[in-house]
Amino acid sequence: MSDASDLGNIIKGCKNGNADCFSQLVDIYAGRCYGYFYRLTGDRGLSDDLLGELFVRLVEKIGSFKGDYFESWLFKVASNIFNDYLRNKQRQKRLLDGQRKQLESAEQEDKNSSGEQIDKLQMVLGRLDANTREVIMLRFYSEMSFKEIAKMRSEPIGTTLAKVHRGLKKLRELMG
Amino acid sequence: MNGRNTENLKELFERFLDSKEAEQAAEDIRKGERIVREHPAPEPGREVIANIKVRVAKAVLRRRANTIRRMVYKAAVAAAVVLIAGVGVRLWLSEKGGVKTGKIIYASVIPSAIWGSEDTASYDADLAVLNTEIEQVESEIGGVQSVETNGNGRGELTELEMELTEINSDFWKG
Repeated sequence: MSDASDLGNIIKGCKNGNADCFSQLVDIYAGRCYGYFYRLTGDRGLSDDLLGELFVRLVEKIGSFKGDYFESWLFKVASNIFNDYLRNKQRQKRLLDGQRKQLESAEQEDKNSSGEQIDKLQMVLGRLDANTREVIMLRFYSEMSFKEIAKMRSEPIGTTLAKVHRGLKKLRELMG
Repeated sequence: MNGRNTENLKELFERFLDSKEAEQAAEDIRKGERIVREHPAPEPGREVIANIKVRVAKAVLRRRANTIRRMVYKAAVAAAVVLIAGVGVRLWLSEKGGVKTGKIIYASVIPSAIWGSEDTASYDADLAVLNTEIEQVESEIGGVQSVETNGNGRGELTELEMELTEINSDFWKG
């Protein structure tokens, strides 16, 4: 990740409409944001679409970023995009179908391969409820503190802590 | 950013649990996050990143064009406000007598003497006479037609023509 002052300059450039600065933002955050979308959807094609939508929306909304914590803001936009997506009924159906297919294929794969390990985590994540899965992934990929996550989700910090704790404990049990 | 690496999980949990439980909960979280870290998600493909950069560049251009359009609209609105204010001030000054504006001359197509006349009684009398004469002419036409069918209507026709001429001259005399 780049230095804070570098990031500040990049964001300043983005606000001035500099396409190169947006390109640098893509280089810095595409991996983490993609991981976030992938872990929530389990679908690479869909994650590609959501990632593209995120950066295009960033161009439209960068002017509204006034805070100090760019990553909190970025993942809030990412979370909104994911929830917009979930609200779309047709896409929601596709997600469920995709997850079911992935679950079935994961169960058939050899358990000793490293590829299987990735899919196994995805399979276990699929067993958690959507809300818990989202808050765990938000914390992992955004690297936000619990306080920031609670603020972003407009819920008490105790609720966020309980969700993440319960979810990760279950995940550990299921992973064996 | 106050990230997850800097926060004290045990302290956070101690707000809700006792010290031993808080330590256990913090440990559960650390171990759970380690599992997620050990199983990294796939990276986006190079082609995907390249496509996103192209889309972003287009979006930046679109945003610039929208900004320019907004500026033009604002300038047009400002110019319209200035123009309207100018006309308003001019009208206000003309009402005060400060500025003389051109007079508009207008006239009615129908003479005002006609519209203004209130002598309806005399017009009614003239109309009554006219109606009587028209009825008389109509009855005489009927007579002529009956004579024509009988083959002798020359004298009646001449008389009718004379009456019509008389009515015509009387009407225009008033």
